[in-house]
Amino acid sequence: MPREAEPSLNEKQFVTQALQENLRLDGRQLDQYRPLEISFGDQYGVADVTLGKTRVLAKATAEVTVPYVDRPLDGIFTIATELSPMTSPAFEVNRPTETEVLLSRLLEKTVRRSGALDTESLCLVAGQKCWSVRVDVHVVSHDGGLTDAACVAVVGALRHFRKPDTSMEAGRLTVYTPAEREPVPLSWLHSPLCVTWSFFGDDGETAVLDATWLEEQVRVASCTVSLNKHGEICQIAKLGGTPVDAVALLQCTSVALVKVKEFSDLLDRRLAEDLKRRDKGGFMAELRAENDR
Amino acid sequence: MATGHPVVLPGETIDPSLIPSHPKNPLRLGPGLRHIPPTDIVPTVAGQLITNPIKNSMWIEYNSNRYIPSPNDLILAQILRSTTDFYLCTLSPHTAPATLPHLAFEGATKKTRPILQPGQLVYARVALANKHMDAELECVSSTTGKADGLGPLGTPTATSTAGGGCAFDISLGFARRLLMARSREEGGVGVLEMLAGEEGGGLAFETAVGRNGRVWVGSDSARTVVLVGRALQETDRGGLGLEGQRRLVKKLVREMR
Repeated sequence: MPREAEPSLNEKQFVTQALQENLRLDGRQLDQYRPLEISFGDQYGVADVTLGKTRVLAKATAEVTVPYVDRPLDGIFTIATELSPMTSPAFEVNRPTETEVLLSRLLEKTVRRSGALDTESLCLVAGQKCWSVRVDVHVVSHDGGLTDAACVAVVGALRHFRKPDTSMEAGRLTVYTPAEREPVPLSWLHSPLCVTWSFFGDDGETAVLDATWLEEQVRVASCTVSLNKHGEICQIAKLGGTPVDAVALLQCTSVALVKVKEFSDLLDRRLAEDLKRRDKGGFMAELRAENDR
Repeated sequence: MATGHPVVLPGETIDPSLIPSHPKNPLRLGPGLRHIPPTDIVPTVAGQLITNPIKNSMWIEYNSNRYIPSPNDLILAQILRSTTDFYLCTLSPHTAPATLPHLAFEGATKKTRPILQPGQLVYARVALANKHMDAELECVSSTTGKADGLGPLGTPTATSTAGGGCAFDISLGFARRLLMARSREEGGVGVLEMLAGEEGGGLAFETAVGRNGRVWVGSDSARTVVLVGRALQETDRGGLGLEGQRRLVKKLVREMR
């Protein structure tokens, strides 16, 4: 079975030693992200995020289903992640690795449990019909920083997504095609994003943002903070590893806020650009039968 | 990359005028070519056909993503584990482990053989590479019994902090160009010379280029290792020419100072 090569002893030693001298292998500052780029597909709800050499695709889809019995007034919202063998030889189809499980858990906690998507608005007929929104996350290329990139992709895809318009008339539910009625965006409340800190050194004294895959393999601990641009923290996950000083963690969250603001701005800008690109405008557009309502 | 060489595709018939003929030396086929007896020579990969009339040899220069060991390649192997007689080494995540006999080091006997830890990097030569067998490596020339620079890389010493050096991933094609005897003229790679020369301000470092797409860079200062590694990776990724490499080296040296 092919497997991911562990970094060699030389690399492990060198990365830790260089970080003590504030040096990173790609010449970045310790708290500097690789260039983040977001693009949207022709379809609604497709987001493509690249973070350095890491690339994540997210696609949001919606279908009408029956709600869960215990939650008749809520719609269904799921996030499915997939790490394919294309990403790395260590991943296999249908056998989720620890990385994949952790990634989907973190995304769920960040996006779902923080109530970013108003699931009550997905309900169509109480107890009978609701929208089931599903986001598929595909990791195309893995060079570290998966959680951060995947979170931007999920949030971007959901904010870009438009679900078909519906109406209720005398107990009859009608779902309109895009030609009949312009699809409507989801009811989106806030955009939580993840920032992952990696810790190096014997006591985790060196904190590094956006670790590459090599750095991730060498780090002694990591901590993922999810927050929105208003500084509201949705979750902090520090799963095992070396204990880290509480004051250092507080400092990390304040730096994370700055980064999240940057990412939110970028996301807003890209969404606005995409909207502009789609908006044909003009007289002919107004005359069309399928114009916006 | 050398231009003016014809591009061939797998299975194509090679124009007989391209095949070198030498009165005495037998024709030698390199990577990417296959001899189907009695007379056919067929390319097995897509790439540029290079011929050397003096040595009466021909091979195909291509940039693939997967390393397939072939005899006499210099490679950067990583020790996986040790067995009773040999070390198992990984060359790349997708290739089967290669074997490195305990006694294939300079002056090694049963008592004096080097003890290598799992994860240690070794610069070695492929001694044997048969199709359905694991490749065999050696760190000693079988004719002279000398190491000639092969062996375990970067054992950290007490004096230098960055003595262990670091390995960087590069593409297979770039590794091959780096290994050419006249890499500047034929391969179009002068980045290492520039770093050690006036553009780089005379940096002191050593490198070991492995054909399996890995370069080891060692130096006394960690800064130099990072600089050289970045210069190599960015030259490879950007497909830079000599002028571009000069600009890159100057930019990196300014940045890292």
